[in-house]
Amino acid sequence: MLAPSYVPLWCKSQYSFLEGASDPAELVEEAHRLGLPALALTDRDGVYGVVRAHVRARELGFPLLLGSQLTLHDGSSLLLLAQDRSGWASLCRLISAGRLRSPKGSSKVGWEEICEHAAGLIALWGGSESALVHPRAPDGVADVLRDAFGDRLYALLARHREAREVALERRLRARAARYGLPLVAGSEVLYHLRRRRALQDVLTCIRHGVSLATAGRRIHPNDERVLHSPEAFALLYQDDPEAVRRSLEVAERCRFSLADIHYRYPSEKLPDGRDSAEHLRTLTLQGARKRYPEGVPFEVSAQLEKELGVIHQLEYDGYFLTMYEIVRECRRRGILAQGRGSAANSAVCYCLDITAVDPVRMGLLFERFLSVERAEPPDIDLDIEHDRREEIIQHVYQKYGRKHAAMVANFIRYRARSAVREVGKVLGIPEVTVDRLARLASPYGGFEDQVLIDAGLDPTQPVNRSLIQLTREIQDVPRHLSIHPGGFLLGHEPVHDLVPIENASMEGRTVIQWDKEDIEDLNLFKVDLLGLGALNVLHRCFDLVREARGVELDLATIPPQDEPTFEMIRAGDTMGTFQIESRAQMAMLPRMKPRNYYDLVIEISIVRPGPISGGMVHPYLRRRQGLEEVSYPHPSLEPVLKRTLGIPIFQEQVMRLAVVAADYTPGEADQLRRDMAAWRQSGRIDRHRDRLISRMVRKGIAREFAEQVFQQILGFGEYGFPESHAASFALIAYATAWLKRHEPEAFLCGLLNAQPMGFYSPSTLISDSKRHGVVLRPIDVRASDWDCTLEPMGARAGAGATTPLAVRMGLRYIKGLHRAQADRLLEARAQACFSSVQDLAARARLDEGMTARLAQAGALAGFAEHRRDALWQSLAVEAPRDARSGQLALDGAEMPARFEGLDPFEQVEWDHLSSSHSCRGHPLSSMRAELQAQGLPDAVQLRQLEHGSEAHYAGLVICRQRPGTAGGVVFMTLEDETGLVNVVLWDRVYQQHKVVAKTESFLGISGSIQSDAGVVHLIAKKLWVPRLSQVPGKARSRDFH
Amino acid sequence: MLLRQHPDWRGLPAAVVDRDKPQGELLWVNEHARALRILPGMRYAAGLGVCRALRAGTVPEEDIQSQVAALVRQLSQASPRVEASQEEPGVFWLDADGFEFLYPSLRQWGEGLRRQLRRLGFEAVIAIGFTRFGSYAAARAGRGVQAFESPQQEEAQLRQVPLDRLGLAPRVRDRLAKLGLHTLGAFATLPEGGVRRRFGVEAQKLHQAVRGLEWAPLCPEQLTEPLVRRQLFELPEVDAERLLFLLQSFLSELLPTLAQRHEGIARLQWVLQLEDGSAHEEELSPAQPTRDEAELLSLLRLRFEAIRIESGVVELQLRVHGVAEQAEQSTLFAEAPKRNPEAARRAFAQLRAEFGNEVVQHTRLHEGHLPEAQFAWEVCEELPVARASEVRPIPLIRRIYTPPQALPPRPRHEPDGWLIAGHREGPVEEVHGPFLLSGGWWLRETARTYSYVRTRSGRWLWVYHDRFRRRWMLHGELE
Repeated sequence: MLAPSYVPLWCKSQYSFLEGASDPAELVEEAHRLGLPALALTDRDGVYGVVRAHVRARELGFPLLLGSQLTLHDGSSLLLLAQDRSGWASLCRLISAGRLRSPKGSSKVGWEEICEHAAGLIALWGGSESALVHPRAPDGVADVLRDAFGDRLYALLARHREAREVALERRLRARAARYGLPLVAGSEVLYHLRRRRALQDVLTCIRHGVSLATAGRRIHPNDERVLHSPEAFALLYQDDPEAVRRSLEVAERCRFSLADIHYRYPSEKLPDGRDSAEHLRTLTLQGARKRYPEGVPFEVSAQLEKELGVIHQLEYDGYFLTMYEIVRECRRRGILAQGRGSAANSAVCYCLDITAVDPVRMGLLFERFLSVERAEPPDIDLDIEHDRREEIIQHVYQKYGRKHAAMVANFIRYRARSAVREVGKVLGIPEVTVDRLARLASPYGGFEDQVLIDAGLDPTQPVNRSLIQLTREIQDVPRHLSIHPGGFLLGHEPVHDLVPIENASMEGRTVIQWDKEDIEDLNLFKVDLLGLGALNVLHRCFDLVREARGVELDLATIPPQDEPTFEMIRAGDTMGTFQIESRAQMAMLPRMKPRNYYDLVIEISIVRPGPISGGMVHPYLRRRQGLEEVSYPHPSLEPVLKRTLGIPIFQEQVMRLAVVAADYTPGEADQLRRDMAAWRQSGRIDRHRDRLISRMVRKGIAREFAEQVFQQILGFGEYGFPESHAASFALIAYATAWLKRHEPEAFLCGLLNAQPMGFYSPSTLISDSKRHGVVLRPIDVRASDWDCTLEPMGARAGAGATTPLAVRMGLRYIKGLHRAQADRLLEARAQACFSSVQDLAARARLDEGMTARLAQAGALAGFAEHRRDALWQSLAVEAPRDARSGQLALDGAEMPARFEGLDPFEQVEWDHLSSSHSCRGHPLSSMRAELQAQGLPDAVQLRQLEHGSEAHYAGLVICRQRPGTAGGVVFMTLEDETGLVNVVLWDRVYQQHKVVAKTESFLGISGSIQSDAGVVHLIAKKLWVPRLSQVPGKARSRDFH
Repeated sequence: MLLRQHPDWRGLPAAVVDRDKPQGELLWVNEHARALRILPGMRYAAGLGVCRALRAGTVPEEDIQSQVAALVRQLSQASPRVEASQEEPGVFWLDADGFEFLYPSLRQWGEGLRRQLRRLGFEAVIAIGFTRFGSYAAARAGRGVQAFESPQQEEAQLRQVPLDRLGLAPRVRDRLAKLGLHTLGAFATLPEGGVRRRFGVEAQKLHQAVRGLEWAPLCPEQLTEPLVRRQLFELPEVDAERLLFLLQSFLSELLPTLAQRHEGIARLQWVLQLEDGSAHEEELSPAQPTRDEAELLSLLRLRFEAIRIESGVVELQLRVHGVAEQAEQSTLFAEAPKRNPEAARRAFAQLRAEFGNEVVQHTRLHEGHLPEAQFAWEVCEELPVARASEVRPIPLIRRIYTPPQALPPRPRHEPDGWLIAGHREGPVEEVHGPFLLSGGWWLRETARTYSYVRTRSGRWLWVYHDRFRRRWMLHGELE
């Protein structure tokens, strides 16, 4: 006989942070596998995981109930399930109210609030935290709940085979009888399989900040918080089958699904009573006339008509108007902003000034952006100057109100290092050992036995085995809610009727309980306002050039197609520029030899894991260099691949290829793009394989090429770059390159003031600039501002287009100096020049620690013979006093002390220690003689060695990379006073020298030279630590994985 | 001490940290760590940044204190005057005056001492000099044993001592290094007033010490040995009464000495060497330190009545451990409490004397799931202050068996019913449960299924089935 089924009504997933141990999708899958008729997801004080559960349930055709376990002011809890859309809105509003009034991470609601929002909700009252089992009878609460919920209030039995539950259940049953509440059987579900119990124990310990040994009764006494099979549940409640049956009744009453959410984008308040579509058309056509002052070309007009038609058909006019308004607001405030991503495929976006790329002229594919078949919201990413993005975020809040605008969440999840730290602590491993272990673990990779062995631990010990196992299990488990970098959800109806809103840790921000993927899965509109450091650099550069030379520059007035700029780019001399500055890009540029803007678009796209792993780079380069004939697998593909010489490089090309070669509709092609992105997770790409290949073969395309195209599609899946995206980026890349070539001082200055950003440290950027003849002046309290500034060279100051300029380093580079302290210093200096260290300290109210920092950085050079003298003086400074009290008096005359001045090595070392850079020299300059005596060349000499020759080299490591697609190869960039050296470590060599490779900042490499088209790599065979009389301090390497 | 706990760390950089946290401060570092410029005062995380192989651990303060005390006792065998540094545990000054006449040279005396310490597992650096600071600095900077021939040689050596070898505050140490001052000699060239202004009083003291302006006498530890009396018997003694009488006479002799020391007896230990070669040891403590001979004798008598001596005693040794007397003045003005804790302590002392030192125990509740993990019996050292508490009626009394008793393996379904406790108790007639307890997976996994069962005899048994041992256990009974 079949056991009577039941519905688990009280299930908490990993999104009840640090409580549940299973992913919502896992719970749904297991419930489906067990043959349960439905499952209710009721995370604590939130609905963070419902979309994931919904998506999986939709795929399986499995009914899902949605609700939440709410925490009350009195510390008890109540379970609420949404019956319908109004109930869902009530639940979201309740959670929002509780969250917004509570500190981040907690929530409290009152009984009255619950009763006010009872419509459309079912309440389940029970569990050990419930007021219903509290020793003091909740008579008053029971009355108001019964009045509010009527027959939708149930007493929830909760059994987990614990002895203490007997008394609690007896009390609950007695009170349920007294209050007239029907009983429903349940048990708290925290994991879908029993083997997750260990992880649940660990999460509980993390939540309470205790170890397993000291957790006591904070962890549960058994593994009964599992999703039970119908048979097991029937056995658990064999004495009360009626209560079990009632769980089905409750589930029957809940009909709400997230599919019921009908979302409307907020409509703009329009002038002249026109509707959104008309207004958008007017603005677009006005914009088109500005973009094409000599008359809008026919094909542009046609494209605009097509796009406006689609936009109107899909009712997306409001969204475009919002983006237009945001961009206009940026312009009004003088903030650089530029749309990117697939929006650059839209002529409407171009005419509305949202994007800067003409998609018609570029031949970009509109369907990549928007299609009627897909009917999915468009995705417009707006890059805004990094420093000023917050202004625009607050503007959006102000314009739409907190009820209609909230930022999208981002879930912070456990990664290898955080996982090993937390699990290690919980297992009682000494924290110092755990810390050592965490540093040895790869930040993104797995956690293997070897890591333990490297840390001196025995991986066979049971505790260490548990550490390995649980560290693996906990990875990707959400830890807490954070905020998406710039995603907004805007709603016509209040957002809190859609999804709960809560406070973000950042002041002035509110955040919804869903992340980017959730928003996409539900087809909701997201407005992405992203911060871009490069725009910040550009703005700063334009300002500096205007101030120093009186020349007005902006993105539109930078001369296009500037030959010296392209010459510099072709030489791979692009450090500091946007997108084309990485080691790989710099190595590619001399081979690619870009000559125009479109070449840059290709350059940006081709140095990506997709094209690299798809084997597209070398064929393209050969064809470009004329070493290989440009051919097309089929004449029909020529229009698609012509601009990239027959090689598919962009995501759009793959889509077009599917359209032309395999007769995909544009919508199908976009589905292909989406499936490419998801192929690893779901294998959805396989559906396209046969269709693509067979149709291409039918068209007369060689099967070999068809197979190759499919492989390229796979490569693109995760790492492909859309042409529209590259086109937007190429504009900024060119602008930064132009500035580097023609205004190197302003470029460096802007770059240094916009840090941290980019690929290289300030020290490396400064060294590169010096090699380009930029004059740098060190930090000096008598001359430096907070930011780095431009100073006219020579005695006569004044602005002029040809005035030679020097860069004066800013006080912002003094480690530990706060902005407020610097402001006091600048204010005091504006009143009168400083006469001594004591005077500086007194008037700027700096303590001896701060003056000592200034002395060490050489910023007090005007007051002492050398830095040690200045340091001795600064150490005598007393605690800051009010500036009005005047100068600090020395109590009595002090005997003089004499110190030795710094030698050149020490000078550079002190610069780096106190300000992370040196204007005076490179750390290796003073060691050059010693290095040469050991037969070690500098970077320039190394580059002159013949291909295949053996070489030994020593330099400072400034960058390490181990791309996931490179088969374990590690790329390093080493630096000396003459330039950079690219080093390649094959996996075998890396494994042999792993510790040295990962930890040493001054490194010796022995290997062979690989030279091709002026690009030189040192292929490492051996790594070693150079032995010198002095060792340079630790350089800061920027490591990427 | 840390390396003695972790011998495998000896070849690695290692440090003692003040707390088991990545931000814990390094208190001591070994030579391997020092060679990598990992210095005391750094954070562990910073040290790990320098060398990923850095090992670290904590050493409890009480362990350090007790080890220092043990070393003082050990060093007292080498010199009668030993001073342990209060600021730097592990630093000791010994008075070597006159040993040059007892040993071929002071260096040899030092080497003997070093060997002795090595046998205890410690590596010592010994400097034999003419001044307190000179020898200290030489020991901090040197290796093995150094013996200076003249004060001038010591001073010359002193000036070469690196500053980072001394226990300077890290901030001061680092700043002096930045000024290019790396040795005590260079440090001494600074003007004294300038040193005080910039680096504080401690640095000034060091400055004075380097220049020979700081002097402090040796302050040797005062060692208080227990008082011992011993009696050898020509003929084996078998009469306990006579032994007791002898102990009384010992006490009478020792009590005046204790009075002179202002000490009371906290503990009595006696050893009976028996003619069969074995030894019988006993000890007892009075309710509180006392010199009341009658009270002590009554306790001794109780203990003697409780013990059996299997063969004749050939030697009796008594050790008396005294502690300083407590001032009782405050009690003179205190209101007399209703309870008399003093009487309770005396009663406990008598119980301990009669039944053994661990006979008085109390329970301590713990937060555990396993029944046996929810409480523990602890020896009651001190009489706790009585506090009124709410007394709740207990519906059933559960008698817990420690350890649980194994029940005979019986199938659950027999013709006569479930005879869990055998035929005598009859079959089980009522069951409540099952209640599951499982856990401890990180250490030793447990999985028990508990039930309350009533047998036909009327007993309520509290039983469980152990999943891993695959058997039924009786954990208690309900009364």
